[in-house]
Amino acid sequence: MNHNMQTAFEVKNLTRLFGDVTALDNVSASVPKPSVVGLIGRNGSGKTTLLRHVIGLCLPTSGSCVTLGRPSDQLGPGELSRIGVVHQENRFLEWMKVEQQLRYVGSFYETWDRDLERRMLDELELDPSARVGALSPGKAQKLSIMLAVCHRPDLLILDEPISWLDPIARKRFLKFLLELLQQDANTIVISSHVLHDVEKIINRVICLDRGRIRADAPLDDLQERFAEWRVNVKAGRLPPRFDEDFVRSQQGDSYQARLLVEGASDRLEAFRTRHGVDVVSRPLNLERMFPLLVQEDG
Amino acid sequence: MLISIDHHSGVPVYRQLMDQIKFHIASGLLRSGEKLPATRALSAELGVNPMTVSKAYGFLEAEGVVERRRGRPLTVSFLKPEKIHVHKLDRLKQSLAPIVAIVRQLGIEKSQALDAFGAMLDDAGDMG
Repeated sequence: MNHNMQTAFEVKNLTRLFGDVTALDNVSASVPKPSVVGLIGRNGSGKTTLLRHVIGLCLPTSGSCVTLGRPSDQLGPGELSRIGVVHQENRFLEWMKVEQQLRYVGSFYETWDRDLERRMLDELELDPSARVGALSPGKAQKLSIMLAVCHRPDLLILDEPISWLDPIARKRFLKFLLELLQQDANTIVISSHVLHDVEKIINRVICLDRGRIRADAPLDDLQERFAEWRVNVKAGRLPPRFDEDFVRSQQGDSYQARLLVEGASDRLEAFRTRHGVDVVSRPLNLERMFPLLVQEDG
Repeated sequence: MLISIDHHSGVPVYRQLMDQIKFHIASGLLRSGEKLPATRALSAELGVNPMTVSKAYGFLEAEGVVERRRGRPLTVSFLKPEKIHVHKLDRLKQSLAPIVAIVRQLGIEKSQALDAFGAMLDDAGDMG
């Protein structure tokens, strides 16, 4: 079977320079469908640039990007009508009312879902007769989400989509995303540094740092790869520094230590025996894991 | 069947699902032959990704805890009482592991710890 049928997008050895600045440095990643990807990274790590390549708004300096089975510089109406994008900055026709803006954008899509549109207006508490130019940042973000979602795209790209939403609106928005996913088995990419929110819905993580890929893996795998070990001496003292290669960082004193470890779940017993210590292992959530992903050393 | 997911515990969601479904089976809340909710229904109810629910169901099926017959909903397998007992003990040990660490850290004697644990079980009402 053609692998493109299984892949929402794939970048290979993608490098992008802006003048002297390397925004993306030999990035390779492949996003299967269906999936919900959290694209995480600090400010300026290359998240937006990567997403702009995926939708053909940016072209690689070298390397390639294939989206929905086509090189992203050749995306036509067929592919573009299956993509939805929420940009970081909203671009609306400011003199229109919310309702007019929805009709206007909806008219470009055969698959526009009026029922979904009504429910989103209702649940996100957006007034259809409000003038677009006068919307608060939060309401504008809701509108731009609706404009990206209501045609039920196969590939939905959300670039920092929830930064302006209050907690209730975020929750409702995540619920709509889940609904889309269940009915259409599509792919959603959410770029965010609000890790707490994206953690609820994503099943895959791509982590960028300074234009390089630091992780590209299922969230479950990452959660099983990293852990915190609370170490207590039984007798004597702990070494000032544990020399096991899976120890990424160490805090504490001669009697107690807190280690962040990577890929060490099957080495716990040997560690206990070797050092004569008690160890309690706990998992790390995405927020605590993140520094380990972006740093070479803990 | 009541399941609660903690999205920020760092424990993979599919594992939390598996653990809690197995707990319900071990405790007798879910009986053999009983139907499990459909993937989509459970995912909507819990607000988790449907792929995560499928993954948990898939692993439970591979472990023989649940079974799927063609065209029918997923049901709890028939498990021998001895096997359920093993599940129960495994689960208990898993929950006691952190307690063991605390007992050691506090330097409490084994007999004292056992007495305390026994007294608490008595207070909670002995099930015989």
